[in-house]
Amino acid sequence: MTGLVRAELKKITSTRLWWGLLIGALGFAALQSLVTAVFSGVEAGAGQPTMPGLDTDEAIRAVYPMAMFTGTYMFALVLGITGMTGEYRYQTITSTFLVSPRRHRVVTAKILAHAGMGVVYALLGLLVVLVVGGTAMAVRGYGLGFDAERLWVTMGLAVAAVAIWAVVGIGIGTLVRNQVAAIVLAILFTFLVEPLLTFALAAAEMDWLVKWLPSNASSALMAPGEVLVDYLDWWVGGLVLLAYGLVLAGVGVLLSVRRDVS
Amino acid sequence: MREGKQVDVVGLTKMFGALKAVDDLTFSVNPGVVTGFLGPNGSGKTTTLRCVLGLLRPTAGTATIGGLAYRDLPEPIGTVGASLEAASFHPGRSALAHLQVMAMGAGIDPARADQMLAQVGLSEVAGKRVGGYSLGMRQRLALATALLGDPQVLILDEPANGLDPAGIAWLRQLLRALAAEGRTVLVSSHVLSEVQQTVDQVVVLSRGRLVHQGTLAELDRGPRGVLVRTPTPERLRDALHGGSMKVVGSDESGLLRVAGGTTEQVGHAAFEAGVELHELAVEPSDLERVFLELTEGSAQ
Repeated sequence: MTGLVRAELKKITSTRLWWGLLIGALGFAALQSLVTAVFSGVEAGAGQPTMPGLDTDEAIRAVYPMAMFTGTYMFALVLGITGMTGEYRYQTITSTFLVSPRRHRVVTAKILAHAGMGVVYALLGLLVVLVVGGTAMAVRGYGLGFDAERLWVTMGLAVAAVAIWAVVGIGIGTLVRNQVAAIVLAILFTFLVEPLLTFALAAAEMDWLVKWLPSNASSALMAPGEVLVDYLDWWVGGLVLLAYGLVLAGVGVLLSVRRDVS
Repeated sequence: MREGKQVDVVGLTKMFGALKAVDDLTFSVNPGVVTGFLGPNGSGKTTTLRCVLGLLRPTAGTATIGGLAYRDLPEPIGTVGASLEAASFHPGRSALAHLQVMAMGAGIDPARADQMLAQVGLSEVAGKRVGGYSLGMRQRLALATALLGDPQVLILDEPANGLDPAGIAWLRQLLRALAAEGRTVLVSSHVLSEVQQTVDQVVVLSRGRLVHQGTLAELDRGPRGVLVRTPTPERLRDALHGGSMKVVGSDESGLLRVAGGTTEQVGHAAFEAGVELHELAVEPSDLERVFLELTEGSAQ
């Protein structure tokens, strides 16, 4: 198994895609952190709620772990999707399954390797938001806020959440083997369908349903409390997210074990 | 020596929807010789090989290597080395990285990746991305991939495609050497002439069915007839009339094909009748034609 995981890591790092996605993730995380740090506590226009000020624990968590997660998870998801669909796109799946005809082992190795890459993305993302967000907070005259309540725990949970999103990507990739279709579907769902559903269901007082959506489960994991919807408890959110990842990946294992490769 | 293993295909059938790609196919491939796996495009060769390699699930029948299904082999690529399509590499990955990935996954010393690239003559471009490779270079890389695990059985699908004549000669020598070491070598091709000088045994497919298994010599039906050139073809026809020999055709240049006799018999009959001859020769056997006849009517 160790050999298969090493092989999967080598697959990821021997092409250029992971660099591009990493740069995108870090840039997006930096931007997210900067914008949050600059606008926290600033009076908003009429009718808009004021974001909590930088002296609150909530805002500090938003500048660091939340910004890192928001910037990074989509790129980890795409890395996971391409980790699976790329094998079909370039037909490397043939040599992959020749090396390891027990296919569930291949998919398991992919899950572990991509979760690992998710951790790497998230840790580097944390480094970036600590520098960018910390600088912005210091410039605005607040401290670095490292003593905020639950800050370091939330960072750890955010790292785990990014890793799980990479695993979700592997699951999606086994279900939808067309690379472009899989990425478009995933982005549409997370950027459009899920937020719209969240707004619509929340407006219809259906918080009991909306809190189970994957993005809201992620938010629950990192930012307990009530924002738009009534989130799950943080640990329930984490388990729900993990369940999404494992169920998708599990379906992927079952599918790829039986499927013809031609 | 590297002891080979026998490959057995028994009653193999593979349906794709309503299409029967392989139809109740049974044959064996023996160690120590090069076996050609022949048939036109679409006759089911690649489908059969994919069933042997556990990539496709047979609708019926079995395919085993030394008695084991591919997925049950303890060391898959150390037992069977295969290359299916020269195109199945990630264009953004280098040849070296591709082989290293496979070596890591199989628990083989990654240093073998360099050795294999040297063996197929790709050392100089080992670090270059495969996207820039020519078809011939990809074929060499595919061969390096197959040889990586020092396998007992080698299964190559159309390995000569895209190789230049020098490359084909090199491939021929390599395959013969691997078989001479005792390995099992199965090479598919849709062009008989490509493998004619390489193979000892052949398995010929047509429309997913076995039409011949044995040696190439068995396919050879011997001389096909006698070629005759004469300024008076009508008189030759008359001279042969009534005997066992017969003019069965002619080409544009006036060369006649005579069936049912030897050059001696044709020459004698012409001499007796006083027919002038300018050319008299044995028509050589034509394996390619036998092959085409055997596989006639296949898709494409």
